[in-house]
Amino acid sequence: MLASLSLKLFIREIRSGYLTSMLLSLVLAVTIVSGISLFTDRLEKVLNSETKEFLGGDLKFESNEDSIKDVLKTLNLKDSKSSEMAIFASVIFSEEEMQLSSIKAVDNSYPLIGELELQNSSGTYKTKENPTPGTLWIDERLKNLLSLKYGDEIYVGDATFVFEATIIYEPDRGSTNFAFAPKTIMNIKDLDKTNLIQPGSRVEYNYLFTGPEEEISQIRSTLEKNKNPGDDIESLNEDDSSLGKTVDRSENFFLLGGLIAVLLSACTIGISSQRFARRHVSYVAILKTLGMNLFQIRGLYLLLFFYITLLTLVLGLTLGWFLQSNFISLMDSYFPTELPAPSLYPLYVTCVTVLICQFGFIYPHISKLLNISPMRVLKNDISFNQNILPIFFMGLLAFLLLLFIYTNQITLSLIIFSGVIIFSFVGIGFIYLLLGKSKLGLGAQDPVSLAFSELRRRKLSNSFQIFAFTVAIGLSLITFSASKNLLGSWQDSIPENSPNNFAININEEDKASMKRFLSENDIKVNLFYPVANAQIVRKQDKDNIIDRNFNITWIKDLPEQNEIIDGEWFQEGVKNGISISDQISERYDLQKNDEVIIQMEDGSIETYIQSIRAVDWESFSPNFFVIGHPSLFEEKSTTHITSFFIPKSKQMVAAELMREFRTVSVFSIEELIKQVRDIVNQVTKALNSILLLTCLSALFLAFAALQDGFDQRRHQSAILRTLGATGKLVKTSSLIEFSILGLVSGLLGSAIAYTGVYFIEARVFETIPGFYPEIWLMGPIIGILIVSGLSLYLVNGLMKQSPKDLLRLQT
Amino acid sequence: MILTTKNLRKEVPSGESNLVILDDITFSLEEGKSLAITGPSGSGKSTLLALLAGLDTSTSGDIVLDGIKLNLLDEEERAILRKDKVGFVFQSFELLPGLTALENVMLPSELKSEENPKEKGEYFLERVGLSDRQHHYPNQLSGGEQQRVAIARAFACSAKILFADEPTGNLDPKNGKLISDLLFEVNSEADNALVIVTHDQDLASQCDKKIELKLGKIVG
Ligand SMILES: Nc1ncnc2c1ncn2[C@@H]1O[C@H](COP(=O)(O)OP(=O)(O)OP(=O)(O)O)[C@@H](O)[C@H]1O
Ligand SMILES: [Mg+2]
Repeated sequence: MLASLSLKLFIREIRSGYLTSMLLSLVLAVTIVSGISLFTDRLEKVLNSETKEFLGGDLKFESNEDSIKDVLKTLNLKDSKSSEMAIFASVIFSEEEMQLSSIKAVDNSYPLIGELELQNSSGTYKTKENPTPGTLWIDERLKNLLSLKYGDEIYVGDATFVFEATIIYEPDRGSTNFAFAPKTIMNIKDLDKTNLIQPGSRVEYNYLFTGPEEEISQIRSTLEKNKNPGDDIESLNEDDSSLGKTVDRSENFFLLGGLIAVLLSACTIGISSQRFARRHVSYVAILKTLGMNLFQIRGLYLLLFFYITLLTLVLGLTLGWFLQSNFISLMDSYFPTELPAPSLYPLYVTCVTVLICQFGFIYPHISKLLNISPMRVLKNDISFNQNILPIFFMGLLAFLLLLFIYTNQITLSLIIFSGVIIFSFVGIGFIYLLLGKSKLGLGAQDPVSLAFSELRRRKLSNSFQIFAFTVAIGLSLITFSASKNLLGSWQDSIPENSPNNFAININEEDKASMKRFLSENDIKVNLFYPVANAQIVRKQDKDNIIDRNFNITWIKDLPEQNEIIDGEWFQEGVKNGISISDQISERYDLQKNDEVIIQMEDGSIETYIQSIRAVDWESFSPNFFVIGHPSLFEEKSTTHITSFFIPKSKQMVAAELMREFRTVSVFSIEELIKQVRDIVNQVTKALNSILLLTCLSALFLAFAALQDGFDQRRHQSAILRTLGATGKLVKTSSLIEFSILGLVSGLLGSAIAYTGVYFIEARVFETIPGFYPEIWLMGPIIGILIVSGLSLYLVNGLMKQSPKDLLRLQT
Repeated sequence: MILTTKNLRKEVPSGESNLVILDDITFSLEEGKSLAITGPSGSGKSTLLALLAGLDTSTSGDIVLDGIKLNLLDEEERAILRKDKVGFVFQSFELLPGLTALENVMLPSELKSEENPKEKGEYFLERVGLSDRQHHYPNQLSGGEQQRVAIARAFACSAKILFADEPTGNLDPKNGKLISDLLFEVNSEADNALVIVTHDQDLASQCDKKIELKLGKIVG
């Protein structure tokens, strides 16, 4: 009986259209949540394998000696694989030409992860092997510079090799500091034959590991114990690359967008449930007078909501799947491989979200509805609004819970939560104060006094509406500015003519002629930074070793993409001091005014830390951990590094430059820039669709909030019109009234967005928060336009009906 | 003549075809006179009243109210006409729940931008015997009291013609008599016309004129 009755009720409710806003919001919430979580889930998986490939394994050990080999033998590894490679720079020769190259000698396990893409005379092919002894693989660029054909001979040190293939793609691109020069890959077995590795020559040994987590962490701890100063251990999740960060942040943005859309939908659901309950008061009362007991009525409504949940889940999950596959196809070109199937986590998040929405925003209304006494209906008492606070608090609790589930950060959730609450209440209190007590009469003489008297009379329901509008405007503005900030920071990081080539190893003697060469070719000359390799030692605490080498530079002016966060940049008059990056300061506990010794190949320098800098590592220009005062380094020998932009039309200039300046290495980051640009473009599309969906949920919320009060307005406007109020009076006064509501909500929303954006950018995106004064303009304008626009739409609907019909609908 | 109708017809769409609620209604009423509309439930009395008061539009036929042809007016013009010339008492009171009794009665004067809505409201509330309930909200009043507020509000319209849809329908005979006496009394004071829908034959016979509806047609 209950089942069929509830099914009938369900069908009737769906048909009547009264459930539409609740259903739409639920479906929208489920769509967004499932779509975004499915997408980010898969994105994360693919990124993990991508960064793993970039690193070349799960763990990498870099050393200047191969002494760790013996330690590795003592490790008794069962399921892990390791690979050794030696990396060094050397000049290599063809019959006619010579060129500096970065040589990577690899063993038989290479590549540990992924595969190489090569090209020979018969086309491109993929391989998981290392080069056979006696053969070489080299960069396309190197092939051109050396004027080689496949099968030609190449001379490296004392050994002769056959040129077998050009390298199109290699998995462990993240390797080495020498990657600057065009690359050569050889077999490590040939290394001795070349006689290039002598005591004292600069070689970097890399050891890559992949395997199960326990073994990797075992390896890691063994390496930590045995490492020498200058050795470096790298593992996943330390991806500081531009691309990694871009994708990482956009992922954060997706999650934020999802959260916001869910919060908005939750509010809509709350409002439409209240409407639902109000409409069902008499229905429940009649069922009760007809003798149905509470248990049965409860069952009836639970079943009804069970159907609703089922329907929304089916619809929402289907749409969510489409959403994520759309995102995936947007980024298709970026991911070369098939994307892994998603885990069950997205499904779980979606269901939990729906459950919280049900219990936080629907169930309290229904349970209140069930407690209604039949007398209320007989007395025609529809003042259902009393005692709404417990329901409101229930909703707030669910709101907080959702925040926590999505952010997983209790402080952040509390900040957002209390922000929303405080701002709403400030605004509502403000309205109360401003409007004062209601005067006698409705003030129907003119639109303005009618509008203000309405505002005064409906303080409570207006407060709820302001709350809803504020949430809608504030949260969509947050999404808007977050997306704007992301896009802005990306675009800033790669300005149009940002340098796409780096030149390193520039000798003091070549500096001037190279500048001339660039100018002659109409290429803008940027700063030439001196570079030297140095170690830093604490003056006091000599045992506390800083176990790595730094590229150090010395210049007079602070580079653009740097910002001093502690201390001061070099001042006139003082000819001492160094500036270090905040990462180094943190990692090695180096503070302002610490005294240090800089050890370089030709002697050491005593100085102190004068300032700490934040460095934008995403910018495509030379960045340094350590910058010293120029006068300290006057005597030091050095090479230089610079960057410049070579337009497409002057591609040949790079090769010419390298021929002219044999010892200088020029490497292009064109590919990388293009890759970042592409992904930014694609992410932008996904970002905009999230923004759109969020705004759509905000619109739903605003509409539901408006609609909620309109049942009463319908009655009132019908009566006013029978008494001779013109449609113009009713319309104008509601326009004024809602413009004021919109204005207030818009201002509050701006305030929420302004503070919210600050916290989100600083805490979630970890960027320097940008301030957007236009938010203060956008909030009120959007508020007025949307709120009064929607209300006008609703009021116009009322005007189309004759007052008689309106009253008829009422009873 | 304050009110004349000619061949009035009202249809409402119902499913495929149209339902005829009123058909061929023709009558007239002189200024200051009263008219009773009677008939069984569902015969179209409330519909007719709404048409006469300009609350709804007829399908065909003419209504002339105080020399103005209602069919030629648009909704805005009808609203102004209602404000200037018409008072209306609904079958179901239709008070605004958010306003006190006094504020409800003040509404018409406010809409007309009159000088002293409050005094006028108090005066008419006193006329219907509710001076002591001025500041009570409708849900604090009994059905009869709400009806009296609704009538006070109609009086406050200072209308040339007052329409009342079963003004005594919700009241016991004693209160019903009180209300109907009041209607006639105030009406004759102001020399207004009065159109009452009623089931009460006594009340009907008090009127100068009487029409009876059956299935949407005048039968007597
Ligand atoms: N908009 C409408 N749509 C459909 N039917 C309507 C509409 N308006 C009126 N009716 C029908 O027209 C008939 C007359 O209605 P009306 O309210 O005028 O009756 P009444 O004579 O006032 O009855 P009662 O004495 O019960 O108040 C009824 O059958 C009613 O259902
Ligand atoms: Mg009727």
